[in-house]
Amino acid sequence: MSQILPQEQIDAWKERVTGHAHPMELVVDVLRAIQAHHGWVPDAGVELAAEILGTTPLRVEEIATFYDKIYRRPVGRRVIHVCDSICCWSRGAEEVVGFLRERLGIGFGETSADGCFTLLPSCCLGACGEAPAMMIGLTTHGNLTPARILAILAAESGEAAP
Amino acid sequence: MPKLTIDNQSVEVPDGTNVLEAAKRLGIVIPHFCYHEALGAVGACRLCAMKFEDGPVKGIQMACMVTAQEGMVVSTLDAATVEFRAHVIEWLMMNHPHDCPVCDEGGECQLQDMTVAGGHTLRRYRGLKRTYPNQQLGPFIEHEMNRCIQCYRCARTYQDYCGGEDFGVLGTNQRVYFGRFRDGRLESPFSGNLVDVCPTGVFTDKAFRFKSRYWDLEEAPSVCPHCGLGCATIPGGRYRELQRVRAGSNRQTNGFFICDRGRFGYGHAAHAARPRVPLVDGQEVDWTQALAAARARLDKIIAAHGPRSVALLGSSRAGLEANAQLRSLARLLGTDRVVFAAHAPRDWTARTLAAGLGAQASSLDDVRRSDCLLLIGADPLAEAPLLALAVRQAVRGGARAAIIDPRPVALPCATAHLPLAPWRLGQALAALGDNDWSRFEGQEAVFLEGVHEALAGARHPIVIGGADLLGPAGMRQLLELARRLSREDRPCGAMGVLSGPNSYGAALLAGDGPDFEELSNAMITGEVRALICLESDPLTQAADPAHAGLALARLDLLVALDSLPTKTLGHAQIILPTTVTAEGAGCFVNNEGRMQTFMRVLAPGLPLRETGGGGHPPRLFMADTPGAAPRPAWEILAGLQGRAASLAELRDALAREDVRFAGLTALAAESEGQRVADAGLALPATRVEDYVPRDGELALLVCEALFGSEETAFYSAPLDPVRPEPRLILHERDAGRLGVTPGEQVRLHSAVEEVVLPVEIRADSAPGVAILPRVRGSLVEAFVPGVGPQPCRINREVDHA
Ligand code: SF4
Ligand code: SF4
Ligand code: FES
Ligand code: FES
Repeated sequence: MSQILPQEQIDAWKERVTGHAHPMELVVDVLRAIQAHHGWVPDAGVELAAEILGTTPLRVEEIATFYDKIYRRPVGRRVIHVCDSICCWSRGAEEVVGFLRERLGIGFGETSADGCFTLLPSCCLGACGEAPAMMIGLTTHGNLTPARILAILAAESGEAAP
Repeated sequence: MPKLTIDNQSVEVPDGTNVLEAAKRLGIVIPHFCYHEALGAVGACRLCAMKFEDGPVKGIQMACMVTAQEGMVVSTLDAATVEFRAHVIEWLMMNHPHDCPVCDEGGECQLQDMTVAGGHTLRRYRGLKRTYPNQQLGPFIEHEMNRCIQCYRCARTYQDYCGGEDFGVLGTNQRVYFGRFRDGRLESPFSGNLVDVCPTGVFTDKAFRFKSRYWDLEEAPSVCPHCGLGCATIPGGRYRELQRVRAGSNRQTNGFFICDRGRFGYGHAAHAARPRVPLVDGQEVDWTQALAAARARLDKIIAAHGPRSVALLGSSRAGLEANAQLRSLARLLGTDRVVFAAHAPRDWTARTLAAGLGAQASSLDDVRRSDCLLLIGADPLAEAPLLALAVRQAVRGGARAAIIDPRPVALPCATAHLPLAPWRLGQALAALGDNDWSRFEGQEAVFLEGVHEALAGARHPIVIGGADLLGPAGMRQLLELARRLSREDRPCGAMGVLSGPNSYGAALLAGDGPDFEELSNAMITGEVRALICLESDPLTQAADPAHAGLALARLDLLVALDSLPTKTLGHAQIILPTTVTAEGAGCFVNNEGRMQTFMRVLAPGLPLRETGGGGHPPRLFMADTPGAAPRPAWEILAGLQGRAASLAELRDALAREDVRFAGLTALAAESEGQRVADAGLALPATRVEDYVPRDGELALLVCEALFGSEETAFYSAPLDPVRPEPRLILHERDAGRLGVTPGEQVRLHSAVEEVVLPVEIRADSAPGVAILPRVRGSLVEAFVPGVGPQPCRINREVDHA
C-alpha cells in the first residue's frame, strides 16, 4: 500500500474519518490525496480509500468514475483538460484541439511519448468569458491561441520534467 | 383529494399522488421506465411526458415528477407530447444492440413494449454504438450491459431499497455503467430483484437462462413456501419443470420484492429423488391400491389396538386444507392423536402466538410504516428475509430500530443492537413491560430504558419476536408487552416470526391438542402403532431428531405423504407422493394470521430435461405423463376418508365448521389475503425452563441461516452454490479464554453430537453463547434450532489428540 499513500497519511486520514458524522464527504479529498501521491488512482487506491472511509470499494468507485479529474488510469505528468463545450466551441475549440493533437502527437485519452502530457476533453470549465480555454493541474488557461498554447506547453513541460 | 382532468376525463386522487399514477387510475397508461411505486419518481428516463394545458403547471412535463393538484388539465394525446415521447424512446434505443432474439427478457421486456407504444419502429441512427464489458455476478444473475437504458431502477432497488453496497452506478455520461467494483457474486440476499426491476435484459435470471420464453411459461399467482411471511410470488413452469419464480405483489406483505431464498428455492420440485409414485412396501402401485392398502392396514391396527393406536402428524409446510383434512381423517378414524408440527417447542410458540395475537397483529406493511421497532430474539435475514427489507424501509423513513438478540444480527440499515444471552430475553421483555431495570447493569439498563422510552413515545410502535429464541414463554411475554405499551389512542403492534409458510394455520388447527413429544413417547411405549405423516420430516424437523428416530423405528406402520425426498420416507411402508406448492392449490396462513391462497401453476410430471437426459425426450408412445402421479395432499387425505373432494368443497366445509376460516371461501388468489377471524383459543400453559450456564460454561445455541437451513429450499439445486459451510460463532471474550483464533478448528461436545468445525469470532454476539447456524446436509445436520440454549463444551482441535 505504501506506494499509493504513505502510512502517515493513511493514519492521518483515518483519524480525520473517526468521529466524522459523514465520512463519505471526504471521499474526493482522499482520492485526490492518493492521486497527488501516486499520479493516478489504481484499483488498490480505490480499495484503500474504501478502507479509510469505512465503506465498500463500489461506493468509492461510483465517485471516482463520476469525476473526470480523478484519473483511474495512468496519465502523463500533466493532464490537459481542453474544453469542448459551447462557448469554447463557438470560439475555436476545435482548432485548439487540433493544434494540441498535432503538437503532442496524441489524441484524446492518450499520453505523449515522453510521458509528459495526457490530453482529455472536458465540459465547460467555467471560463467561458475567456473562451477557448483549457485546464492543466489547477490552472485554467483562457484566450488560447497557438502562440499561447506553445508557451504554456513549454512552461508546463519544463515543470513536468521527470 | 385534488381533482384533475386528464384527456377530458376527471379523476380524484389522494394527496401526493403523481400525475402518472392519476392517469393510470383512468386506465391511461403512458410509457415509463424509471418510475416504480416502491422506488418513487426520479424523472430520469424522460419518457412519461404529458402536456399540462391548464392549472398550476404548464407545458410538457414529466408526469411522474408532478404531484396532482386541483384544477389541472392534462393531455396525453397532445401531438407535440406524443412526438416528444417518440423521440425519447428513439434515443433510449440508440445504443441498444437489437439482440432481442437472444435475450431472455424478450416477450416480457418493458423496453420492447414501450418502444412499440412510443411509436419507434425504424432505426435511423447509423453511428457507432457504445459497448461495455459485462461482469460475472455470481450464480443468480446474468449481466448484459449493452441493453441498458439508464433508468437507474437497478441501483435504486439494490442500494436504496435493499441496502446493498456492492453494486451501483459507475461512470458518467455515455459511459454510465451498472455493476460491481469487480466481478463477483452479488452480496445482497435480495439480488434477484434486479431481474424483475430492470425493464430490459441487462439483468436476467441465470438459473433460468435460455430455458423458456415468457409466453411459453405457465404462470399463476402463488405464495412463497420458504418462510413464515408468505410473500406473493409468480412461479413459472414449462415442460413439466418449475423453471423460475418472480416476485408477485401484495401491498400488505412483500410489496414488490422477494428474497433470493424464495426466488431460487423452486428446485425442490425437480429434485431427482423426489417421490413420484405411490409405493407400498417398496412396490409401485396405483392410487387405488395405495389408498386401499393404507386404509386396510390402518383399520387392521385399529381393530387390534383401538383407534388411539393411530396418530397423525401434519406440518407447517402443508396447506391449511391438507392439514384440515388430516384433522377430519383423525376424527373419522376415531383418534385424538393428531399433531400439526413435528417440533414441539415451535408448535407451542406458534399456538401461543395464534391464541394471543388478536388485534395487535401487524403486517409487513405496518412494519414499513412504523416509526419505532423492537426486534427481540429475531434475526430477520435468517428467519424471514423480507422482514429485514421492511425494517429497512421503516428506518429509511426515520424509524428507530432496536435489536435484542444474542446473535450478531445484521440488517441492511442502521440499528442499535444489545447482544443479550438467550436466557435473558425473557427478563428483558419483563423489564420493558414493568419499566424496571433492576436486573440489568449499566449499559444494558441504559439500552433497555432507551428502547422503552422510544416505544412509549412512538406513534406506530411494533414489537417483533422470533419464535425460536423466545419460545412459548417469551412469545407470551412479547404479546403482553405489546398490550402494555398500547394506549387507547395508539395501539402497539406485535409480530411473531414463525418458521413455516403455514405455521400459524397449523397452530390454529392444533388448538389445545397434544404435541409431537407426547406422540413420540406414545410411539416408544407402543401405545401408538401407526403414524400418518403429512409433509413432515420428524427426522430433521423434530426438536429431538434422535428421539423421533427411536419413535419411528417402533411403529408397525408409517404412511408418509410427501413431495420431498425426506429421511422419514426411509421408514415408511407406504409412500404417497404429493404435489409441491406450485403444482397444487391451497391456502397458507402467514405469521400474522393472514390467509393467502395459491393457485396451481403447472401439473406435476417428470421434467422433460430429466426424461430426455439433456437430449430429445424418448420417442415412445405413452398414454400417461411420466412422473405425474403426485396429488395434492388434501385430495389424498380425502381419498383415505373414502371421499372424492374438490378444493372448493373442502374450503366450504372448513369455513362452515370453523368460523376462524370463514373468509376462506371468498378468498381470491392475487388478493391481499384476509386475516383469520379471532382465534378463540386459550393461551397454552408454558412449561419449558431454559438451561442457564454457570459462570465459565458456554451454552450452545442452534439457529436458522439465510441459506442452507430452510427445509424446502434445501432441496433446490439453484441454491447449491450459496450453501454455507458449517461454522461456530464465538464471542471474542470466550475465544480468548479458549485460546482459539479466527478460522481455527474446534471440537464441539454436546448432547447431540461431537463435531469438529471452524470458528468465527465476533465482538457483537453475546458472551457465553456459542452460536451454530444450521446447515442441512452437512456435518452439523443433527443440530436443530428452536430448542433453547444447550450445555456444550468446546476445545481447540489441536489439543484434542
Ligand atoms: S441496468 Fe436495467 S434497471 Fe439498471 S439502469 Fe440499465 S435498464 Fe435500468
Ligand atoms: S421472505 Fe420468506 S416468504 Fe418472502 S420470499 Fe423470502 S423466503 Fe419467501
Ligand atoms: S464553454 Fe468552455 S469554459 Fe465554458
Ligand atoms: S417515468 Fe417519468 S421520467 Fe421516467
